[in-house]
Amino acid sequence: MSIPRPKGPPGAWFEERFGVTPELLRRVMAQALSRGGEDCDLYFEHSGSTAVRLSDGKVNAANTHVDLGMGVRVVVGDQVGFAYTEELTPDAMLAAAATAAQIAEHGGTRDVAVPVARRIPDRTPVLEPWTDVDMATRVKMVRDWEQRAFARDARIARVDTYLGDAAKVVMVVRPDGRLVEDWRPMTQGFVRAVAVDGDLRESSAYNVAGRAGLEYFDEGRQQRLVDEAIDRTLFLLGAGKPPAGEMPVVLAAGPSAILLHEAIGHGMEADFNRKGTSIYADKLGASIASEHVTIVDDGTIDGSRGAVNVDDEGNDGQHTVLVQDGVLRTYMHDEISAKHYGVDPTGSGRRQSFRHAPLPRMRATVMESGPLDPQEIIASVDKGIFCQTFANGQVQIGAGDFAFYMKTGFLIEDGKLTRPIKDVNIIGNGPQALADIDMVGNDSILDEGGWTCGKDGQSVPVSQGMPTVRVGKLVVGGVG
Amino acid sequence: MSTTLREATADHEGLLDSARKVVALATGLGADECRVRVGRGVSTELSRRDGRIEKAEESRSRAMSVSLMVDGRWSAHSTSDLREGALRAFLTRAIEGTRFLEPDPDRALPPLAEMGSADVDALDAWDDAILGIDQAARRAGCEALEDAVRAAADGLSVRSVTSGLADGYSARAIVTSHGFESTFASTWVSTAAVISLEDAGGRLPEAWYSSTSRHADDALSLAHVAARAVERARDRLGSGPAKSGRYPMLLDQRITGRVLGTALSPLSGELLYEKRSCLDGKLGEKLGSDGFTILDDPLIPRGSGSKPHDGDGIPARRRALFQDGVLETFLIDVYNARRLGTAPTGGSTGNLVVPPGERSPGAILASLPRAIRVDGFLGGNANPTTGDFSFGVHGVLFEHGEPVANVSEMNISGNVLDLLPRFAEAASDVWTLGAWRTPSLLFDDVQFSGS
Repeated sequence: MSIPRPKGPPGAWFEERFGVTPELLRRVMAQALSRGGEDCDLYFEHSGSTAVRLSDGKVNAANTHVDLGMGVRVVVGDQVGFAYTEELTPDAMLAAAATAAQIAEHGGTRDVAVPVARRIPDRTPVLEPWTDVDMATRVKMVRDWEQRAFARDARIARVDTYLGDAAKVVMVVRPDGRLVEDWRPMTQGFVRAVAVDGDLRESSAYNVAGRAGLEYFDEGRQQRLVDEAIDRTLFLLGAGKPPAGEMPVVLAAGPSAILLHEAIGHGMEADFNRKGTSIYADKLGASIASEHVTIVDDGTIDGSRGAVNVDDEGNDGQHTVLVQDGVLRTYMHDEISAKHYGVDPTGSGRRQSFRHAPLPRMRATVMESGPLDPQEIIASVDKGIFCQTFANGQVQIGAGDFAFYMKTGFLIEDGKLTRPIKDVNIIGNGPQALADIDMVGNDSILDEGGWTCGKDGQSVPVSQGMPTVRVGKLVVGGVG
Repeated sequence: MSTTLREATADHEGLLDSARKVVALATGLGADECRVRVGRGVSTELSRRDGRIEKAEESRSRAMSVSLMVDGRWSAHSTSDLREGALRAFLTRAIEGTRFLEPDPDRALPPLAEMGSADVDALDAWDDAILGIDQAARRAGCEALEDAVRAAADGLSVRSVTSGLADGYSARAIVTSHGFESTFASTWVSTAAVISLEDAGGRLPEAWYSSTSRHADDALSLAHVAARAVERARDRLGSGPAKSGRYPMLLDQRITGRVLGTALSPLSGELLYEKRSCLDGKLGEKLGSDGFTILDDPLIPRGSGSKPHDGDGIPARRRALFQDGVLETFLIDVYNARRLGTAPTGGSTGNLVVPPGERSPGAILASLPRAIRVDGFLGGNANPTTGDFSFGVHGVLFEHGEPVANVSEMNISGNVLDLLPRFAEAASDVWTLGAWRTPSLLFDDVQFSGS
């Protein structure tokens, strides 16, 4: 089941359904601050999701989920007390507030205003909401994807498809009287194939995701979803292992932004810097990359998976320039780190759900286009690899070492793409890799894949984008 | 902060009662069969960074999940909105939605006669002493742990130290429409230290160590956790890639699961049915070297992976997955067994046990002219359809047992069918505080890529 876009004024969703009145909000916040906390927030969430799955040629499984609750965070300087409840009764909420309050150790009260709603931007222009889409339509879509997939190639032995949609209403309330209510839709389509050719057997998948309604799955996107899944699977049948060791790596436009996310993005989340544990901790204002490198973290891209109307502390989503022409301009801030650095928050305070306190997180992390033709970049490499698609990545914030797992790519020999390669981990050190980006293409594009970022046990949806770039040297986990 | 934990008990009867009510509601609304799980948990966490409390968190969660058969069709649902009216509306919609699907009779519940629980009391998963931990004790523990880390790190350039203590319990009941009922509850207590050091080139290598146990008296001492965290951080100083090549690889006792998992994930009934397993058709074959044995033992008292039955409600039992290199069983749940036309073997595992050998890790390293001890991973993935894997690693390069370089920014790559015959020796040091209960493991001639 999906949650419809609220029709009432901000605040009405939780007041009308769950009896969360402005006066009750004020009482809960007063309880949260009753031991001398400096600030607090209440984060309400009501979410719902629906998914249908096709397997064995049958649309034979469906899932629905509902989640409901409220998290309360009390802040004293950089100290945080946090508790949550899944019951929105006054007693349960007051008890959670009393628990979170105890991070502060002295008495005292702070005035708490009765909250007043504020209008917020809307970057989720849903035209055909999922609440108006019946099960029969969903069933027809996943079956259609399956039929398109089998029609592509006789070597396709098996196809699984999945269509999911979710939406949540969240409300953030602050003791200074701020109240925002936000509606956050999401949809995802998924196709996985198994291909068999003689003794060779391979499986791969593709998914697309965005903050949108049924209109997201226009003809072009549906065919691309199927084609990418099939192309990626068939590609593996003919692919081998790359050589092992250090070599130049050319990253294809789009999904290669996993490099940005791991090598640079996490290290620029301000909590690690505030604590002094990020390798970028002392680098504000310093030149950290070539002049062709400009990186933004952007919560304002309409309909993108990483878009946020407001972040989970109630601050507007923003277009934040992290690196401009090679110079580190700012970190990504939540309110705690913004206060620490004496700057405005960047709208980067995000959380997985009401069960978690917010942290500085990425939204859509994008490297802007540079001057070069992508073909020129490939042609510049004598012996290296070209990475096309990816599965996952990871970073060690302090040491700066990062890795990403390439699913498909090509060997580059004498400036040309030659042998197809697959399944290899690639590793490097973030600041070094950033400094080693020596060619930047003119073809930056936002990837439409459904990326999810994990940090401190919390997952949030993100987007990423990148032009074709060359990194002078990374360690490729091949053979030989 | 918390006196509330003391009020808590597993309350099996309350959970069973809630689950029975959902079963009655769902069948009353038109479900032919259903399986309901109701769970509840409490956890309290305190962390301290560089001399001050950083975060105090308490969570009390509850959840209900249900799988339904309606006219031979299957679906699964969950909600945390347990108000009576909301639950009724939720189940009504779930049942209606299920009717739009195509039938899948293989999803039916297993026969009641095949279901059951191992002796829950013998699993000894509950420790009242953990419910008695209060915030003052956590606060004192965090402080003592930080002090112990700083003492152990004397002489090193410490950037930051974080210490954390956490504890809690979870309890759940499962009830099916055909009369199966099961309850299980467990406690846990955890201690963790993280240390960040200053290193050449502005690098700030970080290392952690932790202890998590079902019983308070099984926990590692704070001094032990602190010493190991510092030791691991020291092993990361000045690291970089060693030369590409083939090396003997000693996997540290705590991280063997990542590599052994490449041999276990292809055993899943789902992957076998979907023709996505590289071990399809290899049951009974000798795939590993003589000493290569992995046992699944879900019945170890206090074991973190111990449980009374598998996900289908089939009673837990001990079994060998690999015995002296031979693949002894697949992991096939009831649904995939029906799809495959075979008998279920249990789709999930409990504690994964590799029997220890004779020699310590140090003695093994001393016997080798050159070897890399792998202490941790960075990124990487494995393809269960082909068996190919590639993982980023860090660790220490040894020559004749002497550490000669800390290594990082390296990858190991290979194929599981090529790796298992290269298993050479299990060390004598078994890790017992996790679902992977293995000693350090030596593999010969593994492909490393580096400089």
